[in-house]
Amino acid sequence: MSATTTEVIPHDPSHDHPKEGFIRKYLWTYDHKMIGLQYLWTALFFLFLGGGLALLVRYQLAWPNTPVPLIGWMLPATVAADGAIIPGGYNMLVTMHATVMVFFVVMPLLIGAFGNYLIPLQIGAGDMAFPLLNELSYWLYVVSGFVLLAAFVVPGGAPGTGWTAYAPLSAEAAYNGTRIGQSLWGIAIFINGLSSIAGATNYITTIVNMRCPGMSMFRMPLTVWSLFITAILLVLAVPVLSAAAAMLFADLNLGTSFFKPAGGGQPLLWQHLFWFFGHPEVYIMILPAMGLASEIISTFSRKPIFGYKAMVWAMIAIGFLGFVVWGHHMFVSGMNLTLSAAFSISTMFIAVPSAIKTFNWMGTVWRGSIEFTTAMCFALAFVSMFVIGGLSGIFMASTPVDLFVHHTYFIVAHIHYVLFGGSLFAVFGGIYFWFPKMFGRMLDETLGKVHFFVTFVFFNLAFFPMHNLGLGGMMRRISDPPIYEHLRQLQPLNQLSTIGAIGLGFATFIFVWNMVKSLAKAPDAPANPWHSNTLEWTVPSPPGHGNFPTTPRVFHGAYEYSVPGMDKDYLPQTEEAPAHVRLDSH
Amino acid sequence: MKGTSTFSKILFCALSVVMLPFALTTSFAQDAVPNLYWAPENVTVGGRQIDVLLNVIFWLTFAVFVATQVVYIYYLIKYRRRPGVKAHYSHGNNFLEIIWTSIPTVIFLVLAIVSNRVWFDIHSDPPVDALKVNISSYQYGWDMRYAGADGQLGRIDVDQISLENKFGLDKADEAAADDFTAMELVIPANRPVHIYLNARDVIHSFYVPQFRLYQDAVPGRTITWVWFEVIRPGNFELACSQLCGVGHYNMKAPIRVLPPEEFDKWYAEKSQAALEAKAGPPGVTPTVAVLAEAPSSPESQANP
Repeated sequence: MSATTTEVIPHDPSHDHPKEGFIRKYLWTYDHKMIGLQYLWTALFFLFLGGGLALLVRYQLAWPNTPVPLIGWMLPATVAADGAIIPGGYNMLVTMHATVMVFFVVMPLLIGAFGNYLIPLQIGAGDMAFPLLNELSYWLYVVSGFVLLAAFVVPGGAPGTGWTAYAPLSAEAAYNGTRIGQSLWGIAIFINGLSSIAGATNYITTIVNMRCPGMSMFRMPLTVWSLFITAILLVLAVPVLSAAAAMLFADLNLGTSFFKPAGGGQPLLWQHLFWFFGHPEVYIMILPAMGLASEIISTFSRKPIFGYKAMVWAMIAIGFLGFVVWGHHMFVSGMNLTLSAAFSISTMFIAVPSAIKTFNWMGTVWRGSIEFTTAMCFALAFVSMFVIGGLSGIFMASTPVDLFVHHTYFIVAHIHYVLFGGSLFAVFGGIYFWFPKMFGRMLDETLGKVHFFVTFVFFNLAFFPMHNLGLGGMMRRISDPPIYEHLRQLQPLNQLSTIGAIGLGFATFIFVWNMVKSLAKAPDAPANPWHSNTLEWTVPSPPGHGNFPTTPRVFHGAYEYSVPGMDKDYLPQTEEAPAHVRLDSH
Repeated sequence: MKGTSTFSKILFCALSVVMLPFALTTSFAQDAVPNLYWAPENVTVGGRQIDVLLNVIFWLTFAVFVATQVVYIYYLIKYRRRPGVKAHYSHGNNFLEIIWTSIPTVIFLVLAIVSNRVWFDIHSDPPVDALKVNISSYQYGWDMRYAGADGQLGRIDVDQISLENKFGLDKADEAAADDFTAMELVIPANRPVHIYLNARDVIHSFYVPQFRLYQDAVPGRTITWVWFEVIRPGNFELACSQLCGVGHYNMKAPIRVLPPEEFDKWYAEKSQAALEAKAGPPGVTPTVAVLAEAPSSPESQANP
């Protein structure tokens, strides 16, 4: 089942294009690789912004109502008074941190940056199916980011209703006091949704139609599979959120009552719509990370990925089950109790494919020849952190235990183990792995190891104590925990967590320094520095316009490492296996 | 609570230490304060079942975590790159896939079934002799309403809600006559308490970690399935755990759990005062005077 590819430019692709102006090269380009990099840099900018917001949140929790050192004076009056964060401002910081991290960092990094960069290269296509739509979706993302950030400077300030924006708090200006900020939040989410839907449509079309000859579905790298399934989830889930955001905007500004009981609306409708998007969203943010990690772990174990098809089917199962578990966010929301029980069972089942994937990663390193590059360290740590995040999810999946830990710091710990220890670790690993391909320069391995180790230690220091805080009964989204008798004694844990968060923040500067240092030097990356098998490594680093000089032809799957009877321990997808060698995959 | 949970506490410590050597810092703090690593003491009957389940899941996940990480790290060390050693060529093993698909499936299924049994047990119909308390939440506080001497919560009429009549008690209803309100939740030990939960403006939530209990209060509805039995007298705090606006962080109310006799005395006094106030000059309401915002969204018809 080979597929056709678009026309490719017949001559050496690196010199085919006339010199482009700055704007056509960096700002308005139709090249999927440059669009991927646009996403990368923009999302990294937002990462620092979201991280800064997180540090403000953490500072307030550790040392409540004291002036924030160094930057306190810069905070807007809606957030801080005399440099100390005020309760309403704290709510804004929490809300904006989460919104920025989910919609403007993790999704754009995984899907925008790696999705754009890798999909055409790994399936042997010259570009995306719709290059103009591709660039459009990037700029929609940028516009939505500006709209969101504008909320900080409008009258009333940023929204303070949490990234989940539960109605009627979010839907009634009299209750939240931030009509404009909350409306901008709705608009930003809506525009961001358009960007996601456009991007996902592009990915699905590209993957279905533009695979090069020989690239059957079950020969695709797991990265492409994960992004394919993610794109399908996006197309099905994001419109629901967009609709909900539009309804919220109407409730706030046009006098409708979708979510306001005073006008006959139903507050739980918001939660159902939000989580119908929100739970697939969780998998949208972890599936591509799983894809990246699989790629890296297989390459540096010099072994075929263990159970390739099981990995694919597990992801497909996650995709299906992801749509029938949203109610587990609502066990104690006032939803029918029997419905909670049903959602509890489907939630337990969705843990199974995640377990399968974990065992397969372990199977991949088993009897491998493991090289601990920085990329590999991040990918390996991803597995362990994902295991912690997955196991802590079981507590919440059990309905009675959820009665106790719901909306406490236990779940804050859980989501950060999945989203930071999971998704962002995989992103870091992915950047170390594909940076040579993207920029033609190797990153410094020593600095990389330092970055990894410091990140790993401080990450756990920041987030592990949150489990204990949650079990101790610390609620989410309260700006001043010591106000409560039972939380006063937990304050040392809050301070420990904050110290961890500060360290984690500074660790990221090592990473930035590494990138700056690398970009300043002369290109030194070979086409295939890691001796990896997928198609992007068969072309120069960075690949030229049009990606492939001639349409590549694929002979086997992406994970033929250490094939017996061969001298080299890898076999690129474009190379036919020697006659005397038998491959186990097809 | 004693045996297993102390052990679990130690284990949880151990987990912290095994995983993060730097968690030692907090171990010092633990000498000074109780329950730094585990939940606060449970004080309800239903909470015992939850704690059992919590411990079971903790042990299960702990075992899985240790087992997988030990194997994983062992592999990482054993199969590190060494000159002349080539990786084993294997695309997987279907038998293993079946094993590690079916075992977790069975475990999760059992866990879901057990969980749901406890869930329905905790949410079974409240005993008829349960003390009825109507809790109404608003930005940013709590009002409690008790049934009074007749044990019947009076009917609510949303049109009668006012600053003085925060619950909108229907003055025409006989059962409403002796209803009285309070700013703190006063309940007896060793007797079931049945909560009728309202919200007057946005979603709030009833959260008491020592009760192992969380429930959202949704405006426009009355949640009627929350009941619990506290096993010892003591003072606690009722916390709102659902972000409800600027004052959310401080939306709390004291909870006093009294010995039954003491509670009966308190209850009788309050009911009597309510009836007297009712019989007294018109316009005086049997409410503890409070400053509360006028409710701006309607209550549902609660007629328990």
